[in-house]
Amino acid sequence: MTADVLDVAERMDPEELRDAARRLLADQVDRRAVLDAPGPESHGALFGEMANLGWLLLTAPAARGGLDQSFEALAPIYEEMGRALSPAAIASTMAAVDMLRAQDDGPGAELLDRIIAGEARVAIAFTRAAPSTLPQTISLVPGGTEATDLLLLPEAGQGQAALFDLRGPGVRIEQVETWDRSRFFADIHLDTAALKPLQVAGEIGRAHCDLAIAWDCIGGAQQALDEAIAYMGTRKQFGRPIGSFQALKHRAADLKVGLEVARALTQRATAAFAERSGAWADLAGQAHLLAVDSYRAITEESIQFHGGIGFTWEHDCHLFLKRALMNEVLLGTPEQVRDRVAPGILERALKR
Amino acid sequence: MTDRVEALRSELRTWLAQNVPAGWRDRQQGDDIEGFLASQREWFARLVAAGYATPHWSPQWPGGGRSLAEQVAIFEEIARADAPRMSLFFVSLYHAAMTLQEWGSEAQKARHLPAITKGEIWCQGFSEPNAGSDLASLRTRAERKGDRYIVNGQKIWSTLGQFADWCLLLVRTDSSGPKQAGITFLLMDMRSKGVEARPIRQITGDEEFAELFLDDVEIPVENLVGPENEGWKVAQTTLSSERGLTLVELTERMARSLWSLVELATSVGEELGRIDDEARRRIVDIASRIEGLRAMIAILMARRIAGQEGVGDASMIKLAYARIARDFTSLGLRLRGPLAQRETRYVLGAGYETGNWMFDFMNSYQYNIAGGSNEIQRNIISERVLAMPREKSA
Repeated sequence: MTADVLDVAERMDPEELRDAARRLLADQVDRRAVLDAPGPESHGALFGEMANLGWLLLTAPAARGGLDQSFEALAPIYEEMGRALSPAAIASTMAAVDMLRAQDDGPGAELLDRIIAGEARVAIAFTRAAPSTLPQTISLVPGGTEATDLLLLPEAGQGQAALFDLRGPGVRIEQVETWDRSRFFADIHLDTAALKPLQVAGEIGRAHCDLAIAWDCIGGAQQALDEAIAYMGTRKQFGRPIGSFQALKHRAADLKVGLEVARALTQRATAAFAERSGAWADLAGQAHLLAVDSYRAITEESIQFHGGIGFTWEHDCHLFLKRALMNEVLLGTPEQVRDRVAPGILERALKR
Repeated sequence: MTDRVEALRSELRTWLAQNVPAGWRDRQQGDDIEGFLASQREWFARLVAAGYATPHWSPQWPGGGRSLAEQVAIFEEIARADAPRMSLFFVSLYHAAMTLQEWGSEAQKARHLPAITKGEIWCQGFSEPNAGSDLASLRTRAERKGDRYIVNGQKIWSTLGQFADWCLLLVRTDSSGPKQAGITFLLMDMRSKGVEARPIRQITGDEEFAELFLDDVEIPVENLVGPENEGWKVAQTTLSSERGLTLVELTERMARSLWSLVELATSVGEELGRIDDEARRRIVDIASRIEGLRAMIAILMARRIAGQEGVGDASMIKLAYARIARDFTSLGLRLRGPLAQRETRYVLGAGYETGNWMFDFMNSYQYNIAGGSNEIQRNIISERVLAMPREKSA
């Protein structure tokens, strides 16, 4: 246990949070709307609605006006956002809350207060370079178009972090056109002289982002698989529903098992992270790995399961595939994640 | 209740530290079958005496009456201590004992259960050459003549059947109705006239299974379990008797044996940082899948303990385990390179993680084929979990 882990206040029911998320997202997300109007305006009020539901306060410290919940309160929300292909995201902002919650003064504390007041949205980028040697452009920053602040973290979570005020002078934010249109990404050009070095527990932000991606994948993978199974139950060829053919059923079964293994690991990693127990940082990375792998496998196969219709722009299969492929490389490629968690895993294995 | 489990764990750790035969792997390396049988008997006797062999039996039996959570703890601790498996006695303790406790007559229980704790060995006579995945199509015939059944037919894949004293036997007593009806469950004394058990040599060279040839074997009617023609129902008890504990144990053993992969990949003496990138990444993948599987098993066992098991849960775990076992051993085999090809001595009864990579890789097929092949599990998962349309079957 580290000092910044709170004694969690009365635990909110994750299933109630899930229901609330499901209702909001069902009401507000039109997953095809972004195809024609790929920009933050396509989902106008969604982020504000999330803030209205108090999601930004969930894990903030009570002393600052937060609800003192653990990551287990956010997990079902992230999963539902993945399922709904939500264009609005809160994960980077919430990762910042986790990292900053122990700070009482300085720029970190000030940012935390602005988040709690609903005035700040944070984008996070991971980088291998030391902040002072950073390039002028940070590319493909998720949520960068709407962020007020940019938090730069070292790739593996440890080392010097930096904070940029994106509302200040010398910053140019450019929305990037990406294959995945279900969320928005930006190239951020900045004057590195404007950075504020920041002492934060970067590995906590790293694990938060790993798990947010993992849950986004689990939710999306489940939805994509559900839709493919439903389609195979109704589509008939040779006088039978194609879902009765073993060639398809067996692949679906393998995908389901891969998803359930990933889900179980993500649950375990979530509990470990919430309590900061065991090898929580490595477990979060491992959950990230299995979850992106399952999401990619399911969305790749889903198009094949659908046949020709799955290859069309009109059908939703590609929305999931594109989000899955973006998730796979967002905030670290699978090989980078493997290299990050390998030392701990190998060392513990040798201890028997 | 958690306290009870934790107390049991700490008691077990102490006991295991004192009782796991030191250097058992070394002694069994390349040992002959007599040596294997002797060490199995010795280990089994120790477990029985300490009360750890029969936690799943009903409370009136010594060592019985333990909760499922306690049974899980026993298997986990045995695996973590790298103790020998109970291969030779597993069918006796689980399949035979659980079937008898649920369906057996008082006389059958009194005759067989104490004998099992004293080391009587049971095998299973279920599969036949033409009834594998489609078990209910079995054709071994039993005809009732007075107070005995006369049995003719052939059974296959009886685990260690060549050493068994008794056999749980499925026979056909009626062919007129649907195939599941007309099956009867009998207890067969392996010393009966007309029983011949021939070991089957596997691709590993090991002989862990037997074929049984039954030629006019006489079985007394008092050895009938459950009603005649209702043996299929009895067999379901047998087939579900181990309640997932085998996979609890095997998965713990696999997680523990990750070290052997790491040691292989680093080669002794080299620093972890010098391991080849590709090997290290593949080990991370295997380690992550094992950890996911452990988490999945923990969820399943918790549901089982709460009486809320989901349809098809067990099939998903079986399939996940089988695939990981194959990939795990396949990776070890590749890392070991040409050396693996000349290491032909192996440890009997250690599970698949003997450290002999060629043996372990070949043996991993067992988990992909036995106990419902991967294909059968995929049928179950797709039809019962995913509710995909059924195929017409004969």
